[in-house]
Amino acid sequence: MYKISAVFIGILIAIMVTFNGVLANYTDQYQSILIIHIVGLIAVIFILVLKKEKFIITKNIPIYLFTGGLIGVLMVFLNNLCFNFLGASLTLSLGIFGQLILACFIDHYGLFGLSIYKFKKKKIVGFLIILSGLVTMIIY
Amino acid sequence: MLYIILAVLCGCITIISMIINSHLAIRIGVFKGTLINYIVGLTTTLLLMIIVKSSVNLSYSSFSKIPVWALLGGMIGVAVVASSNVILPKIPTIYTTLLIFIGQLFTGIIIDYFMVGFISKGKIIGGLLILLGLLYNSNVEKKELIL
Repeated sequence: MYKISAVFIGILIAIMVTFNGVLANYTDQYQSILIIHIVGLIAVIFILVLKKEKFIITKNIPIYLFTGGLIGVLMVFLNNLCFNFLGASLTLSLGIFGQLILACFIDHYGLFGLSIYKFKKKKIVGFLIILSGLVTMIIY
Repeated sequence: MLYIILAVLCGCITIISMIINSHLAIRIGVFKGTLINYIVGLTTTLLLMIIVKSSVNLSYSSFSKIPVWALLGGMIGVAVVASSNVILPKIPTIYTTLLIFIGQLFTGIIIDYFMVGFISKGKIIGGLLILLGLLYNSNVEKKELIL
C-alpha cells in the first residue's frame, strides 16, 4: 500500500513544477522564486507551530549543510526555465535521468561520505533504454 | 538543446540537495532543516535581486492577474518534503525513483495535455521506455542484493 503513496510524491512534484513554472510566466524568474520561498517559508513555520517544535537550534552545524537552500534556488530557477520551453513531462524525465547518472557516480566513488556501491555494467542496458525513451520524447 | 542540458543538470543538483538535506535532517530534524533551507533560499533570492537590480514590482493590478493556485508551488514543495519524510522510509530504496517517476510522468503528460491541447504519442512511448529502463536497472540491483 505504501508503494502507491510513493507515486503520490511524484504527482505532487509534477504539480509543483507546473505551478512554479506558470507563476514565472506571470511575473518573472526572480519575483516568482521570491514568492515561492515566502509561501514555502510560511507553510513550514505553520507545520513547526503545529508540531509544537522549538525554533531554537543549539547544535553546531557545519556551514556546508546550509547550502541546501542555495541549491534550492538554483533548482527552482532551472525548473521554471525548462518547464516553459520543454513542458512538464520532458523536464521531469530529463531531471530523473540527471539524478540517476549522478547517483551512480556518487555511489561508485562513495562521495559525500556515503558507502561505496560499485557500478554494475549490466545497468548500462537500462540506461540505454532510458536514453532511447528520452530521445523519443524529444523527437516526437 | 540548451534547455535539455539544463534540465539534466537540474536533476544532478537535485541529488546533491537531497544528500545535503538528509544530513541536515539527521542533525536537527526534517522540518527545522526545511526552515533553514527556505530562510537561506529567501536570503539568496533577495541578494540576487539586489545584484541584478530586479525591482519588486508587484502592484495590485499585476498581482491580481495571477491565479491563486499558481502561488501555491512553495506550499506544495513543503508538502513534498513532509510526505517524503513519512513515506520513503517505508518502501525499498531501489523502487523509490521508479515509483516517484511513475507519478511524475503521468501527471506531466496530463499537464502537457492541458497546456498544449493534445496528448503526444512520443511522450507516452518515450515515458514507457524510461519506465522499462528504470525497472530493468532496479531488477539488476535486486538480484545483486539477493546474491
